[in-house]
Amino acid sequence: MKNNIVLRAVNITKKFPETIANEDINFSLRESEIHALLGENGAGKTTFMNILYGIYMPTSGKIYINDSEAEIKTPQDAIKYGIGMIHQHFMLVEPLTVLENVILGLKDQGITIKKKEIKQKLREIANLYSLEVDPDKKIWQLSVGEQQKVEIIKVLFRGANILILDEPTAVLRPQETEPLFDILRKMKKDGKSIIFITHKLDEVMAVSDKISILRKGRLVETVKKDSVTKIELSQMMVGRTVLFNFDKKEKNAEKNLLNIQGIDVFSKQQGIKVIEDANLNVKKGEILGIAGISGNGQQELVQAVAGLRKVSKGKVTFKGRDISNKSPRHIAQIGINYIPADRIGMGLASELSCVDNAILRNYYKKPISSGCIINYKKSEAHTREIVKTFNIDVADIYAPIKLLSGGNMQKLLFARELFEKPELLIASYPTRGLDIASTEFVRKQMLKIRDEDMSVILISEDLDEILSISDRIAVIYKGKIMGVANAQEIDKNTIGLLMAGTRLEDI
Amino acid sequence: MLYFEKRDTISARIKIIIPLISILIGILFGALAIVVVGINPYEVYKSLFINAFGSWYAFSETLVASTPLLLITAGLVLVFKMGIWNIGAYGQYIMGAIFSSYFAIFMPPDISKFMMLSLMFFGGALGGAIWAAIPAALKVFWEVNEVITTLLMNYIALYILKFFMYGPWKNPTSYGFPLSKPFPASAQLPVLFNHTRVNLGLFFAVAAIIAIWFIISKTKFGYEVKVIGNNPITAKYAGISVGKNIIIAMIISGALAGIAGMVQVSGIIHFLQVKINANYGYTSIIVAWISYLNPVLCFISSILFGGLESGGYSIQISMRVSYGIVGLIESIALFSIVGSQIFLNYKLRWKK
Repeated sequence: MKNNIVLRAVNITKKFPETIANEDINFSLRESEIHALLGENGAGKTTFMNILYGIYMPTSGKIYINDSEAEIKTPQDAIKYGIGMIHQHFMLVEPLTVLENVILGLKDQGITIKKKEIKQKLREIANLYSLEVDPDKKIWQLSVGEQQKVEIIKVLFRGANILILDEPTAVLRPQETEPLFDILRKMKKDGKSIIFITHKLDEVMAVSDKISILRKGRLVETVKKDSVTKIELSQMMVGRTVLFNFDKKEKNAEKNLLNIQGIDVFSKQQGIKVIEDANLNVKKGEILGIAGISGNGQQELVQAVAGLRKVSKGKVTFKGRDISNKSPRHIAQIGINYIPADRIGMGLASELSCVDNAILRNYYKKPISSGCIINYKKSEAHTREIVKTFNIDVADIYAPIKLLSGGNMQKLLFARELFEKPELLIASYPTRGLDIASTEFVRKQMLKIRDEDMSVILISEDLDEILSISDRIAVIYKGKIMGVANAQEIDKNTIGLLMAGTRLEDI
Repeated sequence: MLYFEKRDTISARIKIIIPLISILIGILFGALAIVVVGINPYEVYKSLFINAFGSWYAFSETLVASTPLLLITAGLVLVFKMGIWNIGAYGQYIMGAIFSSYFAIFMPPDISKFMMLSLMFFGGALGGAIWAAIPAALKVFWEVNEVITTLLMNYIALYILKFFMYGPWKNPTSYGFPLSKPFPASAQLPVLFNHTRVNLGLFFAVAAIIAIWFIISKTKFGYEVKVIGNNPITAKYAGISVGKNIIIAMIISGALAGIAGMVQVSGIIHFLQVKINANYGYTSIIVAWISYLNPVLCFISSILFGGLESGGYSIQISMRVSYGIVGLIESIALFSIVGSQIFLNYKLRWKK
């Protein structure tokens, strides 16, 4: 017997002033089902979820919960109907404890907090779904994976039967993904229904029962997982076949461009050495991949090269000249450009326009400015050139850049750095959070500049990405370089061992 | 049920309506206070309006009050754009008045008017700039919150002024009143229109707001200010010196407040005293805020608030309503504008 339909969305359309974000979407979710919502950036996944969760009102269309029409005007309504949402960016209060966060906003708690009862209920939830978190710990003491657990607990505590997870794996380390999937499977077994938003095909294949594909605001198709392949899914997502393999020209990079010689980097915030005695060199015309689990010092290492962190021991040389502890602008001017990992946090000014963001690297140089005056006509032309060459989807280049989708923002940032014609490009997680088409585009660009004899340092946690485009691969673990090898001479297993702290020479 | 829905874009209409409604709420609360005292608020507001805009002379007095407001606001726009909350225009204005008065009181009165006014102008700018540079340096080098330091330095400035007025600079012939001796004619700003008090300061104010508009929208420094205000980490990444720019912007902001103080003593009062309308320093925060830091709107709002100030003085005399009503209207309007930020990003919807 088939399970009941718990949620049905009929002919949902959501129009924004400039665009139609959702058009005529029909979607249904059954009991005990993990339903993946797959689509590129800007396909309308998040808008649709926000409609289900009462953050937006649809322009037209209806939602049925358990076969009766539901009016979801606010998230409170959604919670009443048993819908819970786990946002990509957590909605937790850092100085409060887990328990306090769980009950935050609940109205039926009375004046005092009944800690015992709540803890009892938390234990039940923990046992059912293996969601163990110490309820007395403060949020800031928890890892990202644990914080996500707290978000899920919060939703379950409110009695949700339908859980919406918005790109839950985007913030997780690779090894935290599988435990999350286990939790999802246990919830499914218990009769919960789950909508899982993602654009990662592997995850869809690993955990979902059904897959709905969104493209340009329309629901293209809903398929059973067992009846499709990854290749077919990717075709449905982008509307054309995507190349997963790049043909990389063979070349021999010989000349040294950048030398990192025994550097230490000290972190004030953490009060420890985050990089210890790192030695690394980058040759002219090669892509050096740096693999490692996030948070092992790769950010600090490249930020030290880019002049954004102090080198406390050792030195960095570029074309034979010592550049350690030079200013970020000096380093950019001699030909090292850096694409930071968290583009909203560093690299872009989200409230400012595309033009203002596009000239961040050259606003002080001719021809964009002369004397102390910026020529905004030339700035606009520069921006249009960037937008055109990189095919960035921008409605109005004078609108705040935060209105662009993540992929387009990244393209603009990437293009801005490339337009500076760097000799060395440092790219931190350049494809994180991007859809397939943008990912492919960014990777091809990196290969293209390599073929033009520029060099790239690529930081990524996606081993396939690193293996497919790097010439050499370095692995970092707890601030130390575990080893460097040619890409052809190393396999995923070896890299995995190095990422876990084995030295290459010990293998 | 009332509920909030997120706005996708902020329309120009809502941006204009919000400050207008905020001022209206301020006026309504003011009316309430007037009713409590037993006076007809309609008559009071009518009189206020007539005394602010009803005749050329009334309007000229409005311009007189708008002048320091616009000067201070111009500087505040620059630092607020940067995300630096300079609450110290009050003190910077006082220091500007003290520094410029020094020349008026102690220079030989027979030096040329141009020389004297130039000394007073740059003296006023220097006084305000020093008073703003101190909290800026504290912030840049020791990460001390500028809101607290600028605010506290207002009181220090006030007591320095009191010290001079009750002590060394007191006019021996003022019968114990805390006043300096009157400024010589060479230390008085020339009047622009006959039979009014509108003086050269108005020209400074208009020049200042145009200069600030130009700096923000055309120059490299203005671009850096915008980037720092939006994301200091991105600014640092782009090689922009955040600390240097904070100090420069604060010095400009303080200098403009100092010039406002100079304009007031040299153009209007013609001597130094304890009461020199330093409250303009606080009112300007409201003017800047209510104008979304947009120089053109700043120009309009400073005339509006100038009218409120000058009309407010008149109703005190003609209607026997306390001038405090003006402060009440201003502060309620600021409350409303700050409180209504939510309407910029959300719209109120009604669903049964």
